[in-house]
Amino acid sequence: MAITLTIPKLEMSMSEGTLAEWIVADGAEVKTGDFIYILETDKTAREVESPSDGILRHKAPAGETYDVGTEIGEIV
Amino acid sequence: MAQTNLGIEPQTLKAIYGEMARIRAVDTAIQAGLSAGKFTFTYWPMTGQECIPATISQLITSRDYMVTTYRGIHDQVAKGVDLVGMFAEALGREGGVNKGKGGSPHISDPSSGSMVTTAIVGAGTPIANGLAIAAKERGEDRVTIVNFGDGATSIGAVHEAMNLAGIWKLPVIFLCQNNQWGEYTPVPEYTASPDFAVRAQALGFAGHVLDGNDPVTFHAAMKDVIASVRRGDGPVFVEARTYRLGLHAGVGDNKSVTKEELAVHKARAPFDNTKALLISAGICDAEELVKIEAAAKAEVEAAIAKAMESNPTPESETIIDVFADSDCVPRRGHYPIRSAEGDLPGERKTMSMVEAIRDAQHIAMTKNPEVFILGEDVGDPPGGVFGTNKGLQDEFGPNRVRPTPIAEQAIIGAALGASIAGMRPIAEIMFTDFFGVCLDQIANHAAKQRYMSGSATHAPMTIRVQTGGGVGGFGAQHSQSTEAWLLHTPGIKVVYPSNPLDAKGLLLSAIDDPDPVVMLESMKLLFTQKAEVPLGDYRIPLGVASTKREGTDISLISYGWQVQQCLEAAEVLAKEGVSAEVIDLRSLVPIDYCRILDSVKKTGRALVVHAAVEFCGLGAEICSTINEELWGKLKSPAIRFGAEYAPMAYSSVIEASQVPSAKSIVARVLAAVKH
Repeated sequence: MAITLTIPKLEMSMSEGTLAEWIVADGAEVKTGDFIYILETDKTAREVESPSDGILRHKAPAGETYDVGTEIGEIV
Repeated sequence: MAQTNLGIEPQTLKAIYGEMARIRAVDTAIQAGLSAGKFTFTYWPMTGQECIPATISQLITSRDYMVTTYRGIHDQVAKGVDLVGMFAEALGREGGVNKGKGGSPHISDPSSGSMVTTAIVGAGTPIANGLAIAAKERGEDRVTIVNFGDGATSIGAVHEAMNLAGIWKLPVIFLCQNNQWGEYTPVPEYTASPDFAVRAQALGFAGHVLDGNDPVTFHAAMKDVIASVRRGDGPVFVEARTYRLGLHAGVGDNKSVTKEELAVHKARAPFDNTKALLISAGICDAEELVKIEAAAKAEVEAAIAKAMESNPTPESETIIDVFADSDCVPRRGHYPIRSAEGDLPGERKTMSMVEAIRDAQHIAMTKNPEVFILGEDVGDPPGGVFGTNKGLQDEFGPNRVRPTPIAEQAIIGAALGASIAGMRPIAEIMFTDFFGVCLDQIANHAAKQRYMSGSATHAPMTIRVQTGGGVGGFGAQHSQSTEAWLLHTPGIKVVYPSNPLDAKGLLLSAIDDPDPVVMLESMKLLFTQKAEVPLGDYRIPLGVASTKREGTDISLISYGWQVQQCLEAAEVLAKEGVSAEVIDLRSLVPIDYCRILDSVKKTGRALVVHAAVEFCGLGAEICSTINEELWGKLKSPAIRFGAEYAPMAYSSVIEASQVPSAKSIVARVLAAVKH
């Protein structure tokens, strides 16, 4: 089953985040806990871990700011 | 060969680790879900604090009561809250333990003993006392454990609750999980007295400082603590030292410290250290631990999957669980007809309102051993500052009429907790003005418990409160009318009798009501109003207004001591050729819009009168409904008349002028009738 990746709400005050960089390329294999992209908020930049094993599909380009909840990729 | 001198049974240590693994699996899954954007709820992580509830879980059962806070997922897991229901609750789904209405910060699950979870720092402690009172009075050997963070030691409710538990020797454990942070502020920055256990000793009971990261010593010490509390030796305060590795709220590491300092605390954190101990002591091998963790992970994954299948709690649930009966919820266009009291018992006696209230309590206490009174000075000989409880302590004893410290949060919290356990407490607050110091317990807790718990628990408590006003000389802090504070808080019923007969019948209804009810008792009426009051038990139903005088030209709608002013005004108006009908609401929530609208349909005019400030008062609400419902049928718009927008003055000249009087009501009516 595909796992949808959306811009997470990491802190109470967070309403949007910037997908600064995809660390893992589109179509590459990932394992749970691998860092898959860099998320920047007004407070911090952090590496986001993969929630499962599978193939990463990008669904949104890096370098853009998205609202919390926006779908940016999936793991199939 | 297992080491035998650990100070803990190997199987117990292994079981503690099993609970820690479940907690860790839940924490990891939540943080992963939040990171992936799979979950979007707010999370207050407890990473690093797993050992405390995991250890306690081996010393208590689901019969023991627990109160905890929004940072209490670890407590819920270890207490045995069903994980599917817990996750569904955190996700706001109808399959949640509380129907998705409370969320993770408000879990209430009596089946596991997790009774109350509060998102107000420190506010669980007064409620825990009430649960402990219920256990003690019923002769049960349950202990109540109330968890709170170190940050809560700074808030007044905790001091009030600890003082009350001390004087009443309640079977409650104040468990301070000292994670070194009050949100984003470290202990040394918010107190010059960081030795929290000393505070318990100052209040007359034991306080212990324990290492909450060490399952062996913590288990040994808590075993003694729980045994002593269970035995009836009174409350104990425990400061369990630990460290919050995560943020105040959100995902990831605690960012208020340097990475180096955090690394030191991570090395001291209990999860890996307990695992290492199990191996070094020869209790488990690495393979067995992997299995324990895998089982926990599988349990959590299955619970999340099942919880995600549950639907978001729908809009149709909005007004369900506000009250036991949703018909009590005020709603536009919904004006239920409720039956009036009918014929009352024939035999009567002349009583003041004070005597009628005392009589009602006497009847309730005689009929139901779970009814008890608590409040300042309620014991004999005074029987309350106004004597409304006179003789009751002499007759029913000190456990059923409990004089309290001057501590309104402790009073309301104790009543609330006891009511959640199913008792029928009557809390007396001497003046309504003091709601200012206990409104958190009333408005955030008593009013919301049924709703936040999806009716898993509820609060059948009564609050009796005296109100000044109209008698002069009490000043701004003993004379105000605060009913609008309550009316604007969904979940609280409010009654305000105008005479002794209604006071007795409303109070008996309130005590039996499944929801929290506040009865306002006007000082102006307590001694001045005398009436022929039926003897024995009778009820004035909530939500039923009474027509005190029939009329045809205008409806005067009022409650409490202003009913008398309206009746006097109606006499004067009759001489002026104006026939005024006087409606006594008696209940403000539930409100009897049915009888209000029927009266105004007949008269075509309405004036709502109250002693409370006119601006944003109940009068504005009632007028708005009348004008909306009867538009086109009115001879003039419904109008309101309350106190001027000013604190109550000490000067009796000002006080007499700033609230409605018979004379000023007459003037307002004449102006309206001429309109």
